[in-house]
Amino acid sequence: MNAGPGGDALPPIRPPATEAAARSRTAPPAGVVAFGSGFALPVRRAAVLTAVGVLLLTVAASFATFTMGRVGIAPADLPAALTGGASGADAFVVERLRGPRLVVALATGAALGLSGALFQSVTRNPLGSPDVIGLAAGAGAGAAAVALLLPGQVPVSLGALGGALAAMALVYVSTGTGFRNPARLVVAGIGVAAMSTALTQYVVYAVERDKAAALTSYVNGSLAAKDWSDATVIWAVLLLAAPLTALIARQLEIGEMGDELAGGLGADPARTKTWAVLLAVALSAGAVTVAGPIAFIALTAPQIAKRLSRGTGPHLFLAALVGALLLVLADLCAQQLPLFDNLPVGIYTMAVGGSYLGYLLTREWRKGIL
Amino acid sequence: MTADQPPPADRRTATDLRAPSREPAPSREPAGRARGLSAHGVTLSYGGQPVVRDVSLDIPHGSLTAVIGPNGCGKSTLLKAFARLLKPDSGSVSLHGTDLHSYRSKEAARHLALLPQSPIAPEGITVRGLVSRGRFPHHTLFRQWSPDDESAIAFALERTDLTGIADLQVGELSGGQRQRAWIAMVLAQQTDLLLLDEPTTFLDIAHQYEVLELCAELNREGATVVAVLHDLNQAARFADHLVVMRAGTVHAQGPPGEVLTSELVEEVFGLPCDIVPDPRAGTPMVVPHAKARTALGPPGGGGGRGEPGPGTVRESAEP
Repeated sequence: MNAGPGGDALPPIRPPATEAAARSRTAPPAGVVAFGSGFALPVRRAAVLTAVGVLLLTVAASFATFTMGRVGIAPADLPAALTGGASGADAFVVERLRGPRLVVALATGAALGLSGALFQSVTRNPLGSPDVIGLAAGAGAGAAAVALLLPGQVPVSLGALGGALAAMALVYVSTGTGFRNPARLVVAGIGVAAMSTALTQYVVYAVERDKAAALTSYVNGSLAAKDWSDATVIWAVLLLAAPLTALIARQLEIGEMGDELAGGLGADPARTKTWAVLLAVALSAGAVTVAGPIAFIALTAPQIAKRLSRGTGPHLFLAALVGALLLVLADLCAQQLPLFDNLPVGIYTMAVGGSYLGYLLTREWRKGIL
Repeated sequence: MTADQPPPADRRTATDLRAPSREPAPSREPAGRARGLSAHGVTLSYGGQPVVRDVSLDIPHGSLTAVIGPNGCGKSTLLKAFARLLKPDSGSVSLHGTDLHSYRSKEAARHLALLPQSPIAPEGITVRGLVSRGRFPHHTLFRQWSPDDESAIAFALERTDLTGIADLQVGELSGGQRQRAWIAMVLAQQTDLLLLDEPTTFLDIAHQYEVLELCAELNREGATVVAVLHDLNQAARFADHLVVMRAGTVHAQGPPGEVLTSELVEEVFGLPCDIVPDPRAGTPMVVPHAKARTALGPPGGGGGRGEPGPGTVRESAEP
């Protein structure tokens, strides 16, 4: 057999150097965004259009958030009100009532969508989400514990953050392999979630009725009475985590083909998984601290993003946009639907996100795709 | 064994021999430098008992090497060490004379490609999309496109006869086509070493031969192919170098015609058999003795029909 070519022979396993190959050497083809020689990223046209579409819908939903309802700003006055040119009632709506709430909703939704996309990519499971590994339940338990043990002394949101981090530490320790093994992560998470829920329920029964009502609202996730400090917290988390997420996006995509194959391609799946879970935990811990455990956004947004884009990969960016849109829409419902005054937004996200996911799934079942 | 290896700077001249399009061919090659993959006293484990013990092995450069052996003998584990996925507990694996673990991971992936046993095709991915992922080691964080991508992908699709169905989804393909798509992905990596872990498993017999013929063809064109195979006859027919493993060690190696004897098959697999020339290829062909099929343990004596051996208890328990 062939003993291998000598130093000057063109190895035949490589393609012959053709004219077309020489031409493609000079300029990247359409669909690749390139600057200089060090930067070139393939960009799918369909993905860009989808992202723009989701963004436009989010703008429309934000517009509706300001203009609808009893204290809604007249559409004609909105540009002035947003640029600080309003006074009286309109200024109050923008600066106190709906402005911060919308800004918090945008970042919280994006953080949850991104977090869910990371979890689903790492666990290779469409049900992977921070809820599944016990983060949300831990946050609820933390909030409950603070409400019971230190009523009025410590903000409930700090308790939630502590609870979320404690739950994640417990999960990290009990898997024995940290965040690297997705299956163990889910099993440990379910256990921690069950314990946390038990604690929360105990507290809800144990504390006085009025406190329990506030707690229930928090445990369901609520955007009522958010102020600019909440907005700062969640935007800071999002703007820190998002660039790091972008750095591991390609490794995540390769990792979805299995650890061995990814390793053979020169990727580092174990390190990527650890980073992805750390970022996902940070994002959802931020979200849960600010708004309580808002259900279903992290689960639904990546699934919707995947179906909208029709591409492959973890769809991190699109999942963040869809998450923001979903939460703004849900909060719009929470503010405007005359069911109850300020029903926690988490209840709407369950209803809206759940129905849309159900619709998508039935459509695919009918088509026989799933 | 690695302490006296040359520093990484010297490595490039030795390893980039096969990429003359990118760099001028080096004028000299250190005499006696081992080309290709070698294991030197390698012991491998997954954190517990060693699975492979003190194995030293050279993969002849330019060969089609088949690794055979009974289940659990450490074939796949050894392949993982060659693919840089498993770090030896002791000993070392070298590529072109340099410790494999001193390569950066993407650089190693530009020299050797691995097709594992059960890769996962991402949902909804097209054949072309899958193949293009083989270009990953040629990309950097901010340059996820390289000028050679298109020609490499087109070449890989053509070599595996997939150009016509490049836009189909991988999920729609037949088993044989899907395996060819994975091989195409590995080809797009443009390495001169291919490591294939049981590439014929789960394929029907026609597709098995299709994949093996493709391997042989790629080998004739210059690639060194290392494949873990289960079928001894296929291994003997297609490989020019056979590595026989047993209980974590290399039991024998060499050309199939010399290595594959009835004694070896009985020793290693516990299967009494005759070896006859393959009527088509003339390579050794294993014809098991019929009775041996019911005796799982190593048989006691001459060909399974003679004196009762350790398998007797088991046999007598059967009706």
